[in-house]
Amino acid sequence: MAPHVTRRDFLGGCAAGLLAHQAANGREGSAPEEYRRAGMTYRRLGRTDLYPSLLSFGSHTDPADRVKAPNGTVLTPQGQARRDRIVARAFDLGVNLLDVYASEGQWEPAARMVKGRRNKILISVANDVSLREVDRACGMFGHVDLYRFHTAAIDQKALEDWDVLRKAKEAGKIRAIGIATHIERTMLEAITELEGIDYLFFPYNFIHARADYSAFLPEAQRRGTGLIAMKPLASGSIMKLDPMARPGAKPEFGELQLWQTNNRPILPAAVAELTKSLARLPDETLCMAAMRFVYSRPFVSAAITGMFEERLLEDNYRAMARFEEMSRDEHAALKAAERLSQLLEARWLPADYRWLEEQWRG
Amino acid sequence: MARITRLGAVRAVLTSAALFAAAVSPAAAQQADNQLKEASVCARCHVISVVEWGMSAHRKAGTNCVGCHGESRGHVVDERNNVKPDRIPRGDRISGLCATCHQAGCPKTKQAADCQSCHHVHALIDPKKPPSSKDEQLEKLAARWQSAARHNAEGGRLMKAGQSEQARAEFDAALRDRPGDPRIASLLAAATRRLQRNFAGFEIVGTARAEESGLPKQVRVSGTDIEMLLVRGGDVDMGSEKFPAAKPLHTVRVAPFYAGKHEVTQAQWKALMGTNPSAHQGRDYPGSDRLPVEMVSWADAQAFLEKLNARVSGAGFRLPSEAEWELAARAGGPPAPKDLPRIAWFDGQERATAPHPAGTKQPNALGLFDLFGNVWEWCSSLYAPYPYDAADGRESPSAKGLRVLRGGGYADTAEYLDPDARHGERPDRKLPWNGFRIARSAPAE
Repeated sequence: MAPHVTRRDFLGGCAAGLLAHQAANGREGSAPEEYRRAGMTYRRLGRTDLYPSLLSFGSHTDPADRVKAPNGTVLTPQGQARRDRIVARAFDLGVNLLDVYASEGQWEPAARMVKGRRNKILISVANDVSLREVDRACGMFGHVDLYRFHTAAIDQKALEDWDVLRKAKEAGKIRAIGIATHIERTMLEAITELEGIDYLFFPYNFIHARADYSAFLPEAQRRGTGLIAMKPLASGSIMKLDPMARPGAKPEFGELQLWQTNNRPILPAAVAELTKSLARLPDETLCMAAMRFVYSRPFVSAAITGMFEERLLEDNYRAMARFEEMSRDEHAALKAAERLSQLLEARWLPADYRWLEEQWRG
Repeated sequence: MARITRLGAVRAVLTSAALFAAAVSPAAAQQADNQLKEASVCARCHVISVVEWGMSAHRKAGTNCVGCHGESRGHVVDERNNVKPDRIPRGDRISGLCATCHQAGCPKTKQAADCQSCHHVHALIDPKKPPSSKDEQLEKLAARWQSAARHNAEGGRLMKAGQSEQARAEFDAALRDRPGDPRIASLLAAATRRLQRNFAGFEIVGTARAEESGLPKQVRVSGTDIEMLLVRGGDVDMGSEKFPAAKPLHTVRVAPFYAGKHEVTQAQWKALMGTNPSAHQGRDYPGSDRLPVEMVSWADAQAFLEKLNARVSGAGFRLPSEAEWELAARAGGPPAPKDLPRIAWFDGQERATAPHPAGTKQPNALGLFDLFGNVWEWCSSLYAPYPYDAADGRESPSAKGLRVLRGGGYADTAEYLDPDARHGERPDRKLPWNGFRIARSAPAE
């Protein structure tokens, strides 16, 4: 008769085996850089002990649902309910980083959403910097996991704001501090001048990869600065480039018009090339390929994007779930889309962001 | 007949051991010390026997407990005495043991048996003639010490009465009786200091003197209006569990020093440096001369001190170390939250968006103003992990790294106005809430 194995014996044996395996691989005590759980990838944010999900939830809200409020905007009740549904679904899919702007009225809804699972969700805040504001955020969320401010230059104001964030971190109110910027020179200055910077939000997509920021990225990696890619879909503009986008799909900015409705008569050859390339990817949209381009970059800890539709969330997640090397067809599609964006000059971007085109393309 | 008490015997043996150790070479003293240490195991119970042995020539000859009683390990560890010593010689066996060394019998009587009829078994003395505990050398020493104590007490009384000249003579006499005594030496130095009318770089303000050191309690930097107060040295418990950078709690000894009564003001900076780097000046800030100077880096503060030291010779002005700052800040206990509005400008109930004139809140127990709030104060120390150790290089002016800021500023909330709260900043960084106060070590003589 086979010897009886108790539950205790079984667990003990498993634990011993696991420890032996770890010891054999020399990984005992060292933090992993990346792990996967249920289709979601989590990468370590620089030198911190935070592991944001590679697909993270951005802070922009749907302009169609916004109404003015005393300190910015809030969403209509229907719009808020829709956003809450999408955020809840994102949590279910394993998204664990939720970015919230104070000015878009999302602090209270976010605090409500994360209640009961605060230890599993990382709250990222972008806001004015003062100790009172930090305290207000802490009052709402208990603590803030990531706090940043946006700046175009590391000037005196940025240094003063940075000092405040450092003090808040020293007091244990914030776990990681960083900045968001669109300018490579500022990115470089930030990692050298801002003492103890943990992470940086920087624009990154297949069109604006700028030869992988040749000066900034190697330095950031050398210093162990966490990198979070914002605008992986160029504020939804990449959706606009997609001649095969389904009717009714919503780019991030309301004023963007989909290709079919606005630009159809222009550049038929370029459109045809992109259409042809995408036809070779039956299960993939241009947005999914664009997301996969960002996911495939090992230095990116998280790609953060505003998602107004559940379908977009599902697409971004599917792009993550089939996480393998990008195919030649995918690269060809992205190349064609990039060419199209060049032919359109700055028009492919929302009016507010056209100034970035020059900087991004370098 | 004189009777040997247990206390008398212990005193006698210790005295003789001390005199013996002092008299012989260091190696012999070390050997004697080792013998006493070994015997101390037996002395845990057999106090009298060990004391008797210690007084005898047996100890000098190196014959110890083990020699007669064996290692007796079981006996040593058995507190209930169930295990007896390896050997307990009795009767003729005692004389047999004596004969191992004294093979020719008793040096006096030549008797070879029944030694214990004349000699105590451990002390080798005649039990009918106990030794005298009188020691001339010891008595002379005791007399000198008693004289020193008398002079010392008299000196203390005269110091309190303000008669420093006479007190100094008394302490001088006491020190002659007890040369090298650090306590008397420091009192003599204090009395001497009281007689001093000038200190390098200082003008003495008022007549108040520190009782223990004789140093003036309040001084002014010569040729300036910068006032400084004496901070008594002592032990300070640094750190706390509240802030990650302030762990662990530990104790640091700090020597007496002088600290600026106020943070350096814009007027004081301008008078020395000729410029005003502060962000809060001009028409929007009338009377800004009284505001603490800010937008100064650690390096700027060093430049200020360098210039001050060049102007005031021999003073040695510097930034306070982190430990000194904390000692001063903890005077009278850390401030209670309800007391903060009374002593500090900060982002509390009355929201402070700019620095306020120095000295417009109440001082702390030492009389120092604005230690908390108004502007953060640069310290000389590197922002290195605790425990604080001034000798580990963190006080080196040329060391690279962040420098410590303490005390919180006008833009901070109450929790940063804490003696534990530390902040580190690059030494070249200028921010509109960072200033400093000056310090200098108390003169040793």
